[in-house]
Amino acid sequence: MTSLPVAAVGDAAVGTPPAPAVGYVGLATRIVSFTIDAALITFVDIIIGVGAALILSLLHIPHDLRVVLAAIGAAAYIVGSIAYFAIFWATTGQTPGARVMQIRVLTSDGARVKPRWAILRCIGVVLAALPLFAGFALILFDSRRRGFQDVLARTVVVDAPGPSIADVSRAKKRAIYEASRGLPPASPE
Amino acid sequence: MTDDERARSRSGVLSPVIGLGTRAATATLRPVVGVVESAAGAGLRLQRRAVDRVLESDELERVVIVAVNSVHIQDAFRLALESDGAAKLVDNLFDSGLIDRLFERLLESEALWHLIDEIAASPAVTAAISQQGLGFADQVGDDVRARSRKADDWMERAARRLIGRGPTKAIPAEPDASTP
Repeated sequence: MTSLPVAAVGDAAVGTPPAPAVGYVGLATRIVSFTIDAALITFVDIIIGVGAALILSLLHIPHDLRVVLAAIGAAAYIVGSIAYFAIFWATTGQTPGARVMQIRVLTSDGARVKPRWAILRCIGVVLAALPLFAGFALILFDSRRRGFQDVLARTVVVDAPGPSIADVSRAKKRAIYEASRGLPPASPE
Repeated sequence: MTDDERARSRSGVLSPVIGLGTRAATATLRPVVGVVESAAGAGLRLQRRAVDRVLESDELERVVIVAVNSVHIQDAFRLALESDGAAKLVDNLFDSGLIDRLFERLLESEALWHLIDEIAASPAVTAAISQQGLGFADQVGDDVRARSRKADDWMERAARRLIGRGPTKAIPAEPDASTP
């Protein structure tokens, strides 16, 4: 993987120590991350949709009302999808897919994304996809690997290496074991 | 008077005499028996103490170690294992069907399967299996991440070649832009 140098919002201050290099994440990794998120959202929506359809099939509902309910369901799907991404970006900066791929969305200066910018980024994703996904092609040419949505919301996507799921699980089990035995917590390795 | 009645009247006369003799013999031998019992008890205690001393001593351990480390013992053991007799013994053991019967009985045993079920359901084994699964997922995740990063670079290079631009230029570092 090519590790690009850290981006500058402005010019680097003279005399400041160099920051550790941050790898900006490219198109392929972001596609994989988005695919995982899309699969997760779709799975949950299918479960909810099947449940709702099952309940509605038991009730005698006029056709017009069914159309209205379908429209409400579609709106809920869109709002839910936007909320999914916006909430994760604005809180941890990582959706579940991003966590699997160990990437994170930050503002250009490395801070956490604010909720309104996260919502704007969601809108930017849709706008980037409209012209035959041309908005995403910017990632291939930008020096900080930013797509249209990143330019719009002033964000970057960076590597976020962290403990694996297995490591976290082991740590939890160890903590539970130590607590059950009254042992002092082990020092981090 | 029959023979039985006569014999019974004789024993009735003699029994006090016999009892008196027995008591006298017992009284006479009592000191001797006591001495013998004491001597036997002391001997047993002495023997037990001696065995305990030997078992607790470092000498026995040293002797065992020397014996095990002895070249002669090891050679003898090796020769015994390499001998035709040992091979025949093993062949005979398997030819006898004893091993087969042993395993058949083991497999038929309810206790064995119960033990296997208990082990399989034990927290340690289930935790180990789940860790194995997570470890496998980790490996897959690491592999996917590494490949996707390579694909990032490859796609970028290909796109830049397509439009005739050079590779990404290095840009200055920004102290604040670090992963939290």
